[in-house]
Amino acid sequence: MKQDPRLVPTFFLGIESTAHTFGASMIDDQGTIITNVNSTYRPPTGIGIHPRKAAEHHNEVSSSVIEKALQGVGERVSPDAVCYSAGPGLGPCLRIGATISRALALYLDKPLVPVHHGVAHLDLAMAAGRSHDPLAVLVSGGHTAMAVHLNKRWRIYGETEDITLGNLLDMFAREAKLPSPGGVAVESKAKEGQTLLALPYTVKGNDVAYSGLLTAAIRLLKEGKSLPDICFSIQEVSFAMLSEAVERSLVQTRKKEVLLAGGVAANQRLREMIQLVAEDHGATFHPVPIEYSGDCGAQIACSGRLAFESGVTVPVPESFVNPRWRLDEIEVPWIPRP
Amino acid sequence: MDSSTLILQPLHRGAEADLFLSQLPPWKVVVKRRVRKAYRHEKLDASIRKERTIRESSAIRDGKIAGARLPSILGLDIERSTIIMTFIDGLLARNILDGMSNARRLALLEELGRQVGFLHSAGITHGDLTTSNIILPADEKPFMVDFGMARKSTDHEDHGSDLHLLQRSLIATHALDAASSLRRVAKGYREVVGEEMAKSSLRKAAEIARRGRYFAIR
Repeated sequence: MKQDPRLVPTFFLGIESTAHTFGASMIDDQGTIITNVNSTYRPPTGIGIHPRKAAEHHNEVSSSVIEKALQGVGERVSPDAVCYSAGPGLGPCLRIGATISRALALYLDKPLVPVHHGVAHLDLAMAAGRSHDPLAVLVSGGHTAMAVHLNKRWRIYGETEDITLGNLLDMFAREAKLPSPGGVAVESKAKEGQTLLALPYTVKGNDVAYSGLLTAAIRLLKEGKSLPDICFSIQEVSFAMLSEAVERSLVQTRKKEVLLAGGVAANQRLREMIQLVAEDHGATFHPVPIEYSGDCGAQIACSGRLAFESGVTVPVPESFVNPRWRLDEIEVPWIPRP
Repeated sequence: MDSSTLILQPLHRGAEADLFLSQLPPWKVVVKRRVRKAYRHEKLDASIRKERTIRESSAIRDGKIAGARLPSILGLDIERSTIIMTFIDGLLARNILDGMSNARRLALLEELGRQVGFLHSAGITHGDLTTSNIILPADEKPFMVDFGMARKSTDHEDHGSDLHLLQRSLIATHALDAASSLRRVAKGYREVVGEEMAKSSLRKAAEIARRGRYFAIR
């Protein structure tokens, strides 16, 4: 049925501001990404992300990032809804994005759509990877979880009991004085490594735990072991742990698709391992395209569009940020996709 | 023991291991073989398979000595990360629990409590205690199987986690009433391990449920 075009929003603006990246993206009502502009705060080598420093960065770049996103490929377009990352993430960063989004929604007199950052990672990955009803593996600085969709929600089948895979790589890179982003630096060093060093392997049921591995890896570093070998071993052991948990979840849920999303999904070795697990159990593998693996505005716009079409909006006075928002706390009735 | 000469008939493919049926006269046996995982570094893979094969077989052995109803280990082929054990002829609790009368089911839960009690008093945690890992032979005296995630532990946390996993599976898979089911499990458990240990394990189980890390799959 054709609706009155005046009532149907045509463009969605997505504002990402959960951690190190400030991003803005415009997509149309078919989900086509028209612009995706991002600026990432890079802390000095050896130092982690200071939430306030990142928020200051976001504040500085916000107007130029949003301006570029609105300019579009040729003509300037105006959004019909403003979608913002409401959590989880770093409080000061989330508040910058939310404040800007509220102001834009009021100024343009358009609806405001709160988006869960983790759900957004999965939504864009599913759209880009043509996945419909996957076992979703989300690996980033904020998440390390396996989830399946059941009865309107993502249900977590397994997750980390302590730090995330992204934390592990970032924190080790910091200790080893490798440049940010830590995951990329560890991956490139690992390519030169050959010897597998002993590191703790902790899988409990479908859950993993990485803090013991981090401590042991830092100890190897202090003992003067070769950095490439340590990086190689961290990847081999931590990714094998995740792969085993994924395999267990896959056998239990009997899903026929495995989706891999999140910043760490850019890692080639991890992609290779999860692909082997999927194929071994007759499931298809749907990795997020590398350019959309890290945090970006397009994720928020993509998920915001789906949420808006399911009737999710929030009045500006009631809009919120939630730095600790669990993946399974939000209804996602737009999944599974046809 | 060399398991390579056995004639294997596929029984089940799990996440970690393949199960086969075979004959080791006079016994009908289950051959559990941990297979090489292509995604895992060869050295890591070899050490994990070896370690788990040994850990699983010794957990079964220790549990059996403590009085729990478990398969008997007939052979160990560490080179092929393979355990050979007696075949338990019966049905999975998962598949028949829903069709049982209330009285039979409650008697079964109480007996399960006792069985878990035997394991815990021997310092063994099952690690994956769901109704898919419990087999009921014709006499309905339950056997616990699949000790792939088992470990040696006298930690209340691990004991609590076993009880919690069992309870979660009763609620999530079978939609049983949480309070009355756990009461019967607890009764049997208490009988074996004693008042004091039962109290701390059950308290831990309740605490783990409250942590919200585990989800009832609806």
